[in-house]
Amino acid sequence: MMRVLVADDEAPARGKLQRWLSEQGDIQVVAESEDGLSAAESIERLRPDVVFLDIQMPGLSGLEVAAQLEQETAPLIVFVTAFDEHAIKAFELNAIDYLLKPYDKDRLLKTLSRIRARPADGSTRAAVATARAQTQSRDRLLVPVGETLQLIDSSTIEWLEAADNYVNVHTSSRSYILRRTLHDLLEQLGDQQFVRIHKSAAVNIASVKAFTPLFKGDYEVQLRTGKILRLSRRYRDVLFGRMGR
Amino acid sequence: MAVAHLDLAADPQARARGWLRRPDFVLYFLWGMFWLLMLAVGVQDYARSGGTRYWQPILWESTSLVMATFWVVLQRRVDRRYAVYLDRPLLWIGHHVKWLPLVVLTFIPIVFGVRHGVYALLGLTYTHESWPYVLFYESIKLLMFTGLWMGLIFGFDAFARSQEQQQRLLALQKSLAEAQLAHLKAQLRPHFFFNALNTISALMQVDVPRADRLLSRLADLLRATLQWGDQEITSLREEIRTLELYAQIMQERFADRVTLTWQVDSAALAGSIPALLLQPLLENAFKHGVERSRDAVRIEIEGHREGDRLRMAIRNTGSTLASSGSEGVGLRNCRERLTVLYGEAGKLQLTQLTDAVEASVTLPWQEHCA
Repeated sequence: MMRVLVADDEAPARGKLQRWLSEQGDIQVVAESEDGLSAAESIERLRPDVVFLDIQMPGLSGLEVAAQLEQETAPLIVFVTAFDEHAIKAFELNAIDYLLKPYDKDRLLKTLSRIRARPADGSTRAAVATARAQTQSRDRLLVPVGETLQLIDSSTIEWLEAADNYVNVHTSSRSYILRRTLHDLLEQLGDQQFVRIHKSAAVNIASVKAFTPLFKGDYEVQLRTGKILRLSRRYRDVLFGRMGR
Repeated sequence: MAVAHLDLAADPQARARGWLRRPDFVLYFLWGMFWLLMLAVGVQDYARSGGTRYWQPILWESTSLVMATFWVVLQRRVDRRYAVYLDRPLLWIGHHVKWLPLVVLTFIPIVFGVRHGVYALLGLTYTHESWPYVLFYESIKLLMFTGLWMGLIFGFDAFARSQEQQQRLLALQKSLAEAQLAHLKAQLRPHFFFNALNTISALMQVDVPRADRLLSRLADLLRATLQWGDQEITSLREEIRTLELYAQIMQERFADRVTLTWQVDSAALAGSIPALLLQPLLENAFKHGVERSRDAVRIEIEGHREGDRLRMAIRNTGSTLASSGSEGVGLRNCRERLTVLYGEAGKLQLTQLTDAVEASVTLPWQEHCA
């Protein structure tokens, strides 16, 4: 059974997709979302196999939702749009599934059979990467706050701390726990602003206040908040280079 | 050019030129050449008749010159008042001729008075024909002289005015063409069009008559768009009808997220308004309010006649006015069309209200005759 999520802000558009998908014996529509944020929340909570993401939605666009997903664990993504020249070009270029409104049943069936034929061939990675390239996913991060998700400005993040299979995102006011890898998070946020300081931690360059040398080329990093972190010599040169030292 | 001076007030070049405008410069040049000629003829005539005191013809001509120049300069300074009659030459000339008695009555006594005075200062006597003869002869001369120069001035002003009108017409055509193109693009905004088609495609599965209605509404809207340009001015009734077509299609798409309220005075419906002027304003209300908001949005469309003005307002909740940033093509075009058609009297205003954004258009009231 393929568990599918449908996200579109227009009721008739959702209805059409829901109806045709429900006719398929192997598909179960687990949720419908009317906007980007609730789509992201449903994906987080229900972990569907496939999402149909309309691009133009209030709050978060479909592309912005996809950009905030973890590449490794994201569901298969089918973008749906009426007209989005840039995005469509990028989809073509990266062989990403998309539906152009209005589409007929044959077109939808074609997409479905393609999805059935390839459970995991890296197309999800490409979809998330393309969505990140199309949006300002570096500047904003979707974080869980209680039961809901919330966007925070990535410049407010001081440092990232990896633990087991999640990451602690520390801002000056509070911390958030994200079920993502540090590697994927850094890929989304980009290496202009965030740099690793050891295997399981990265800092926002802007929040670094001072360095104190330790033994064997290791350093102590002092953040503006007073927090002290360790900089391992393996990552020292990259950080110093970035900070112009 | 007199009218142009007013209308092009915003043009810094026109302002820099000040009161000595280019056609005036040419006119004053001709004026100078004319008087040099008069002086030459006068002196030559004097010499031929055996005169030796050359200051005499110079005095005669220059007193006339000073007085005539005074009147011409005066005409140039106040000609704006009569510029409206440039399209009707007889009226224009009539308005100038009515000053002729005053010109005659000031010209002859002052010119002859000065001549007598100068002669007296030099201990001489200025001799001329008898006063009735002078009055008659000089009046005829003045009449011919005035006729010649009024003709010239009329020619100059009428030419400048026609040039200025042509420029205005060109500007109007240009901005109209631009508005038309931008509107076509906006109206056929692929997003709107394909989404509407998708809505129809979805409705078709469950409610064929409703899908059919929506399809014909989309066709009507498309038709109204394509017909635009045949008719620059329409009635508010027509304009509201087109707005309703658009609103109905959008409401079908966002039924649960938008409430529309129409408050248009029936007395206002007969007013004239540039075709599809309000369309971009309603589109913005949907685009910035409904399409970007997760909550239900309220859109209010209002139309009132306020004395000699027509006022339309479109309000939407769910969005705030961007404090900076440039206006979209739709708003810019709306503004340009208002300026071109109504000048200062046509206004588009964006206002941030407590919980809504209001776009309002004010223009002079004019009954629309089909």
